Formats: sequence, structure tokens, C-alpha cells
Amino acid sequence: MRGRPLLYTSYESDQSMLNTTTKKVVLGAFLAFLVLLPFTGGAASSGDRLFDFSIPFVGFLSSNDYLQLLATVCVFAIGALGLNLLTGVAGQVSLGHSFFMGVGAYTAVWLGAPEGPLLGMGLPIWIWLPAAGIVPAVIGLIVGPTAVRVRGLYLAIVTLGLVFIGEYVFRNWRSLTGGSQAGRSFQELDIRLWKEEVPLIEISQDGPWLSTNGKAFLMMLVVLAIFTVLAKNLQRSRAGRAFQAIRDRDVAAEVMGVNEFRYKLLAFGISSFYAGIAGALLTAFLGRTIPERWDLILAVQFIAIILIGGAGTVSGTLMGAAFVIMLPRVVQNFTEWLKGAIDEGGFISVIADPIVATSANDTGIINTLPGVGPGLSVLQANQVLYGLLIIGFLIFEPLGLYGIWLRIRNYWKGWPFTY
Amino acid sequence: MRAKSRWLALLLVLGLVLVACGGDSGTTDTTAATTTTEAPGDTTATTEAPDDDDEEAPMEIATDFGVDLDAGVIRVGMLSDLTGPFGPLVSAIVAGAQAYWDDVNANGGIEGLQVELVVRDTVYVVDNHIQFYNEIKDDVVALGHSTGSPHTVALNADLIADGMLAIPLTWYSGWSDSSMNSNLLSHGTPYCIEAMNTIGYLTTEHLDGASTIAIASLPGDYGQDSAAGAKLAAEAAGLEIVYDGEGAIIPTDESAITSVANGIADSGADIAWVATTPGTFSAIFGQALAAGYQGTWSGPSPSYSPAYVAPDSPIKDAIAASFVGGTYTASWVDSPQWHDLILDAGLPVSDYYFEGIIEAKILEAALRQAYANGDMTRQGVLDAAKSLESVTFDGLGPDESYVGADNDRLQRQGYIYVPDPEGLAAGTSGGRVDVASLYTSDLAANYEFTGACYTLAG
Amino acid sequence: MTDLILIFAQATTRESHLAAAISEGLSLGAIYALLAMGFVIIFKATQVLNFAHGALAALGAFLVASFATLINFPGRFLPETIPHWLRWSLSALCALIAAALVGMLLERIFIRPMVGEELFAVAIVTLGIDIALRNITNDFIGTDPRPLGDPWGTKILDLGWVTFAHTEVAQILVSIVLVSAVALFFRSRTGIAMRATAFDQEAARAQGINVGRIFSISWAIGAVLAAVAGIFVSVFPRRSAGVDTATAFFAFKALPAIILGGLDSVVGAVVGGFGIGLAEAFVGEYVSFSFLGSGFAGIVPYLVMLLVLIVKPYGLFGTEEIRRV
Repeated sequence: MRGRPLLYTSYESDQSMLNTTTKKVVLGAFLAFLVLLPFTGGAASSGDRLFDFSIPFVGFLSSNDYLQLLATVCVFAIGALGLNLLTGVAGQVSLGHSFFMGVGAYTAVWLGAPEGPLLGMGLPIWIWLPAAGIVPAVIGLIVGPTAVRVRGLYLAIVTLGLVFIGEYVFRNWRSLTGGSQAGRSFQELDIRLWKEEVPLIEISQDGPWLSTNGKAFLMMLVVLAIFTVLAKNLQRSRAGRAFQAIRDRDVAAEVMGVNEFRYKLLAFGISSFYAGIAGALLTAFLGRTIPERWDLILAVQFIAIILIGGAGTVSGTLMGAAFVIMLPRVVQNFTEWLKGAIDEGGFISVIADPIVATSANDTGIINTLPGVGPGLSVLQANQVLYGLLIIGFLIFEPLGLYGIWLRIRNYWKGWPFTY
Repeated sequence: MRAKSRWLALLLVLGLVLVACGGDSGTTDTTAATTTTEAPGDTTATTEAPDDDDEEAPMEIATDFGVDLDAGVIRVGMLSDLTGPFGPLVSAIVAGAQAYWDDVNANGGIEGLQVELVVRDTVYVVDNHIQFYNEIKDDVVALGHSTGSPHTVALNADLIADGMLAIPLTWYSGWSDSSMNSNLLSHGTPYCIEAMNTIGYLTTEHLDGASTIAIASLPGDYGQDSAAGAKLAAEAAGLEIVYDGEGAIIPTDESAITSVANGIADSGADIAWVATTPGTFSAIFGQALAAGYQGTWSGPSPSYSPAYVAPDSPIKDAIAASFVGGTYTASWVDSPQWHDLILDAGLPVSDYYFEGIIEAKILEAALRQAYANGDMTRQGVLDAAKSLESVTFDGLGPDESYVGADNDRLQRQGYIYVPDPEGLAAGTSGGRVDVASLYTSDLAANYEFTGACYTLAG
Repeated sequence: MTDLILIFAQATTRESHLAAAISEGLSLGAIYALLAMGFVIIFKATQVLNFAHGALAALGAFLVASFATLINFPGRFLPETIPHWLRWSLSALCALIAAALVGMLLERIFIRPMVGEELFAVAIVTLGIDIALRNITNDFIGTDPRPLGDPWGTKILDLGWVTFAHTEVAQILVSIVLVSAVALFFRSRTGIAMRATAFDQEAARAQGINVGRIFSISWAIGAVLAAVAGIFVSVFPRRSAGVDTATAFFAFKALPAIILGGLDSVVGAVVGGFGIGLAEAFVGEYVSFSFLGSGFAGIVPYLVMLLVLIVKPYGLFGTEEIRRV
């Protein structure tokens, strides 16, 4: 019986999170790689690492710069998991995710920031982090009933309204947020028992084995792992099945005895909880936030993450977060690479030349020169690509990256046969 | 049918991207000549002694980040807002800096080392600023500029930990306070002093019998620092503040702009001091004008844009008749010695390049000093910069000093200008002519600087 | 017209807050109504909530700026004697035709393949269009605002108790004309076909209606309405220096208007547009900055929208969805 694909001898093994040995092995290896990553590369960077060697091919990921990016991926993945539960699993479109992130961030700031001219209580992380989830969840439950009454596109616009109202409140609540375009600092990832001077685990300083960003990355990874397991678990529980029933046909679900109001409210609450945690971690990790951060663009970014990753799937959401956050860097590096290729000449330069403009009288889609000139700046090119990817995925592959992965997997499952 | 549609979609995706390459037809041309093509004459830079050094023996130069003696390259980071609200200004500033460095490089560079700029577009977003800083910090020896105050404050701890020198591209008065962050090399008249100078000039030399003022600004360091200076200046000049819209302007919110414009119009003030972005200033100006406001308009440099007096602009005449502004660099008209450098680089006439050149000159002085000291590490460049007693800008701006007490170093001299639509149309000016150069009002001259005019929270 | 004094920026200070609020409300409302009409027409015919409307408005305004000032088309081929306003109108007309073509192209290429998909998925496609189109348009606009070269300039119409900029008079008149035109259009043959398509696409097709053509027409009309709104956002006094990179964001304020009126109601769009515009103007005029902080008037549309939705989940004039299993 062992080793046969898609053969399950019990309901439990069918529903288990990692239902094949391959999945277990691959996931284990990947996790081991991620955990090992920040410890390596001591020789390449300026010390502060346990190991001097770099992992082949992907060793560049262990630089402080990429570790910060990877930590950001983890934070966005946490937020996206929440939106995935609400939009992907329960089918309730929300453009208000950034509002709940903002509420979480400012809850964390209020509780965790040191006492000073601005509001702050200096409490340790084990208080402010859970609170940063609970407060948005409660607010989600308060605005929920309005949101539950409206459906579909009306809901999308109502939640969009929340973002604008939230931004107004954040801008004007200056004693908490520091005010519009000024903001306030909050760099408090250190783990303390209470308000003692020397933290239990120090994140904000380079250590002997790990750099600051390495520590932060590991911390975000742990939080992400916990929230991923919770999300995955929820999805196969009674509530998760109720969410899916509501998504597929709300009236039918109600007929079958699913309490629509209660489960929609629950989805709102849980999604806001995730959003709040992500907002708090993002602020504490980057170290400063301004009220304008929690705007519509951020909310759209989360929609893009779950759509590009594959709505309704946990692994797709994680892939989507990595994709959307890494995309600007990929576009930038790709442009630089093309630029280098043009300087060298040869075959690639023929293709690269119309894409990249390298001098004033050169035209190209992407303009790499400082200052403004004809052609998209690298950042605009990235934005255009990002918009087109959203369109492209919806038209060609509604299941997103997860769908692409499924196709690849299914192709190799039957290989060399095509059926 | 469906499959066909999908392919059409794919084609259009490609088409749209191709279309984009023709964009921006009428604006700024870009800088010429890349910086790295020409290697310095002497391949082993370590053996080359600086000009002003008497020693004949080869000198050891210490380096850590951003300086590659073998390749003969110094890399300098620029965190710029190229496409955000201050895009028009900052992209010209970057172009000016690039033109200046190209010139320096063509004339032997920094003792044979070529200077290369690493520019990142932050779009004036704090998160981008932090991420780009982390991306480029190990590739650069210093930051040629860092755009935006909350953005620069967000890097405070990192800059100090990394021993990184940064030139703030923001004239927040707090940068002149060395207790805030001594790694920042402030330059030019701070917003607060600029407001004192401009309003001082308006009341003493430009207008007769002005008795009231309306003040409106963006929230945050720039707007509120400027508004704080305007309030001090109003008090000193005996002006009554009849409308106080400090922090009331929100660029993304049309109704906030309308209410500020109405507030100014209702107040009927003799002077309207408005500190905002170029885009919103024209909106406030137009709406107040439509509501019947007839006073004199004034504001700090970023409020004004030569686009207001461009030939097709509907508010051209109204702006030209009623605006007096303050700024921190000399105008195009008064700096003929720099015209060739800019025009040779293929850039159109503008007043904004000079800020880029000033930044570059400060950094150049620091780099040359660091080379002479034999220490081109990040910390070495920072120490060298902080030992500069006087940096001069060849007529582009007032001299700066980085030695001594804050109150003595504070830059109090600025420029007062009026719009120049004829010059702009004829291509002989960048849209402004100065009515006072290196001007200091009485209030600014006697102002005791003990810290920022507007305190940036936490 | 003789008793109306037309002077260059010479109006007296606003004496009546009530009159000022009404004039500002009408002018804002006219823009919201234009934008909302565009949204509603596209939604009615194709069931798409078009988030790219703001990008279309900015693109339209930029096209006018290009035709009128940058390339001076068709003005450069016309004799000198033709007055400026006619020259500009012809340029604007060309720009509107170009905007309509862009609208049709977008529909044909990005929206048509999505026919039959979930409403939400199509709405998100338009979000993607918005991001891409907005960035490309902004790249063309460049960093400085681009003036439209319009004939109204900064002229003011002074009625004694209230002042209007000429542009504001124009936008109120134009929006009334366009709204009436759309109302009449729905009574025409094509208009009836569009209503039939809105009701049931398959049934309409079975009746011999070319559904694809209806889709194209609705997007063309939507894009033109957006472009007209874009023009009025980018002239004196609202954005005096011309169309800039922030113009595209204006359209979000019209979303509360369409939700207030109901997503699929033309009457609702007009009522919602003017209602929201007046509410915003009155709050801006009477509620002080020191009391509620800056930008309160800006969120009034959203607050009004939320309050109405609590009472009527499908807006004031929207069709209630009949849900069957």
C-alpha cells in the first residue's frame, strides 16, 4: 500500500496537512534551508555569522539586504493569509485590509512604544503583539454587521471607505501616530519579560551568530509558521467548510444550516486579527511608520498577493507574498543585468537594447538614468508589470501560482505520459 | 472565441509596454555620458599622492565600503523621490548632481577615482526609503542625498551605526541641531529661516503697510517647520495671523485643499504664506483666486514650480503678478558660469540643478579631505566632512561650515525671487529672477538657534 | 449677458457661505455625477465595476493637453482666423475620440475574455488595468503638470451674491447636457439593446443583439465621460496648472456616489453625484478645521455612503438582487 499516490486508508491521512511523504521531505528541507540561511555567509558579509560558508547558488540571499526583504515577505504573508481566509475561502471581497493593519500597528505602538511625548506604555512584545491582533479583530466584529448586510461589489467599496476613514483618523490622532507625513518611530522587536533594561532575547543588535536582520527574519519566520498552521487548520475545520459553503453559494449554505451572519462575522474577525499582527510586525520591524502607509495601495497589494498566488490556497498565498514583494527587486536586478549585457555586447545586447535605455539619445522601455527622461523608470516599469500580472493571472490562470504549480506537478506525475 | 481573446490580451500587454517607451515626449532630456567608461590614468590609485600633499612616498588609503581602489571607483548613494510628489524638483537635482560628477570625472575625478551615483527612487515612501537604504548601504561610501525628513529620521539609528555620512535633501531646521544626528550635513537656509527671510523681505522692502497674514502648510516637518518660521516672522513684523492652516493641506484630499483656499480667501490677508507641494499650490492658488482673493502670495521653494508660468498655463499672469518666493540656491540667470556644464550635459534650462551641484560639492570636499587623510572608509569620510571649516559653491549658494557651534553654523542667508514668465518662454531663465541674493532678515540674523523650530515627534 | 461683469480674478471676497457652499457643491457634484455616470453605464452593460475609471480620466485630460498644446492638432492645419475656443474644442473632440478608442480597446482586450467570470474577478482585472494604465499615463505626463490650454482661463462670473469660475459654469452645463444625452440614448435603439443586454446577456444575444458591440459602446461612452470629468478636474480653479500625476486618484471619490445611488441606476448616479458633492461642500464650508482636524470633509462621502448602506444595502435607486439557490 505504501508509496501509492492518492491512496488513503483513513479520513485522517486524507485530511492531514502533509498527506504525502514527498511533501513532508520537501517542506522539511525547505524549512531547514530557511532556518540555516541567516547563519551562513559570514565570509561575504562583515562577520556576525555562525558559519563562514555560503549556500551554493542562493548564497546571496544571506546578505542583510535580502534577509530584510525575506522578513518583509514573511510579514506580508501573515497579512495575506488573513485576507485569503476572508476573500479566498469565505468569498468576501475586502479592500479594507490596510485599515485593519493600521489599527494593529497603532495598537502595538501605543502599548509597546516607550513612554514619551507621544502615547506609549513601554510594555513587552508578548503583550503588544497579541493585542495588535485582538483590537483589530474586535473592530472587525463591530463594523462586520454593516459589511455582512451588503454583498459583492458593494462590500468591496464599503471596505474601501474604511481605508479612507481610517487614514483620516490616523492622520489627525497626532498624539498616537505622530501626525501626517511625520509619523513616529517604533523599533521594538526585543523580547522582554517586563520593562527590564537588558532584554531576554535581543533582536535589535547584531549578535555573535546572527545579524539584526537575520534575527528578525527568523522571528518573522516562526510567527509565520504558527499562523500558517492555524490558517491551514481552520480551513479544514467546521468553520472553514462553512466559509467555503458561503463562498460557493450563500443561500444554499444557509439552507443547509450554516449561519451565514455568524460565519461571515467570524471571517471578518479572524482576517482582521491576521491583518493587525502583520501591521504591528511590519512597523516594529521597519522601525518607523507614517499614517499614509495604511492606504489603498497597500490593500490592493494584498489583493494582488492572493490573486497572483492563488485565491483560497495557503501555499499559493505564501508564494504570492514572496512573488509580489520580491518583484521590484527582480525587475531592478534584471534591468541592471541587461544594462551590463549591453555594455558587454553580444547576443543578449541585441534583445536588451530596445528594453533598456542607457544613455540620453537611446530609447528603451525602461530608462535606467537618474532623473526623468523618456521611458518608464525602473519603479514605474515594476508597477506596470505588477498591474499586467494581475490581469494576466486572472485571465490565463485564475488559480495563480498555485495553479501553475499544480500543472507542473501533474505533468511530472504522469511523465512520460501526457495524461 | 475565448482563446482568441486571450491571445489578443497577451498582444496588448506587449503593446502597452512598447507604447511606454515613447513616453514623456516633451520634458527633460537626460544626462549624457556614463561615468565608468574611462578608467583613471593611473591604474594603481594607491600609489598616487594627492596634489596638496608634500610627501613623495606612496600613501596607503584605508577603505571599507563603496570605494574600490583597484577599479578606481567611488560609489555614492542617492535616495531620491523621482516620481512622487517632489519628483519635478528631485529629478532635476539628481540630474544636476550627475552632470557635476560627470564633469569632475572627466577632469580626473577625486584624485583619479571616478565617482559613480547609485540612485534609488523612493517615491517619498518611508518603507521604500528604509529598504533601499539597506539594499545599497554596503555598496556606497556615503549618501549624496536622502530625500524627506521622516524618511531620513527613520534611518537615524542606522546611519549612526554604519558611520554613514548623509546629506539631507530637506531643509528641516532640525538638521542644523547636531544633537539630533551628527552624521547629517545640513546645508542651505532651513525652511524656518527661509520663511523669516521671505516674510521679512516682503514686509520691509516689497509691500507697504501689510498688516495681516494667512498661513497654510502641509503637515509634517517641511510644512510645519516653514509655518513655525512664518509665525515667528509675522510676530516680529507685527502681522496679524488671520488664518492659521498649519498642517491643514492634504495633497490627496481635494476638499482639504478647497477649505484651505476658502480660508485664505475669507481671511482677505495681505500676505498668504503657503508651504506645500508644487501640485497642490496651484490648486490652492486657483481656488482662492476664484473665490476673490487678491493678496500677495509667498511660500518656500517647493511650493513654486516654473510650470505655473509656462506659456499655456492659465494662471501664468496671476502668479507672475502676485508671487514672491524664498529659496536656497542662486538662480539660473545669476549663475552664467554654470550654464555650459548643464547645457553640455543635454539638460534644459532650469534653476533646480544647482541644489544637486551644491550637494555634490559638499561631498566632493569631504571625499578629497578623506583622501588626503588617507582614510576613505565610511567613518573616515564622515570624520573628514565634519572637519570642513568652509565649503564654497562658486556663487551657487552661501558658504557652509561643519565646524563649530550649531548657532554659529546655522545658515541664515537665502534668496528672494519673483516668477519670470518671459524668461521661461524665451529659454533664458528657469522661470525665476532673484530680487535679493544672500539676503538675511533682521529676525533671521538675530535668531538664537537652540533646536528645530518644529519638533518632529518620536 | 451685459449685466454680468466678466472680470479677470476681480470678484469680491465670498460674502455668503451658503451661496459659496452651493456653488462649490454644484461644481463638485457635476464632476462626481459625470464620473458616476461612466461607472454606471459600464456596470449596467457589462457588469463590470471599473476601478480604472480614474486612470481613464487622467488619460483623457492628458490627451486633451497633448492635442491642444503639445501637438496642436488639428489647430496647426487650420487658418489663423479661427478663434481659440473653436480650435481648442476641435482638439478636445479629437482627444475624446481617442479616449473612446482606448476605452473600447481595453474592453475588447482585457474585459471580453473575462465574460462570464465572477463579478469580483473582473473588477480586480480593472484594478490591474488601473495600475498599469495610471503608471504609463503618469510617465507620459512627466513630473510637471501639463496645462490643457483651455479657452476659459481664469475668468470669473460674478452674480453679486455668488461667484462662479467660467470653468465651473461650463462643467455644470456640460454635465447637464451629457446626462440628458445619456438619458435620451437609453431610449434609442442601441440604448434599448444595451438595457436588454444589461438585463440578460444570453437572452439579448438570442434576440439578435450584438452583445460585443454593446460592450464596446458602453466602454467608449464610459471613457468619454471619464475624460470629460478629467478635463474639469485639471483646469482652473481645481488644478490650475493642469493634469498631473495625482489626477487619477480623484475618481475614487465618485465610488460613494454610485454606491449611494445604486450601482446600476443612472438616476442614482446623478442624485448620488450631486448629493455627495453638496454634502462635502457644506461640511467643508461649515465645519471648522480646528474642531475635527484636517480633511474631514474628504471622508464625508464615505460616511454618508456607510449610513445609507446600513438602511438600504443596494443604495437609494439600485436594483435589489434576487437570490435563488
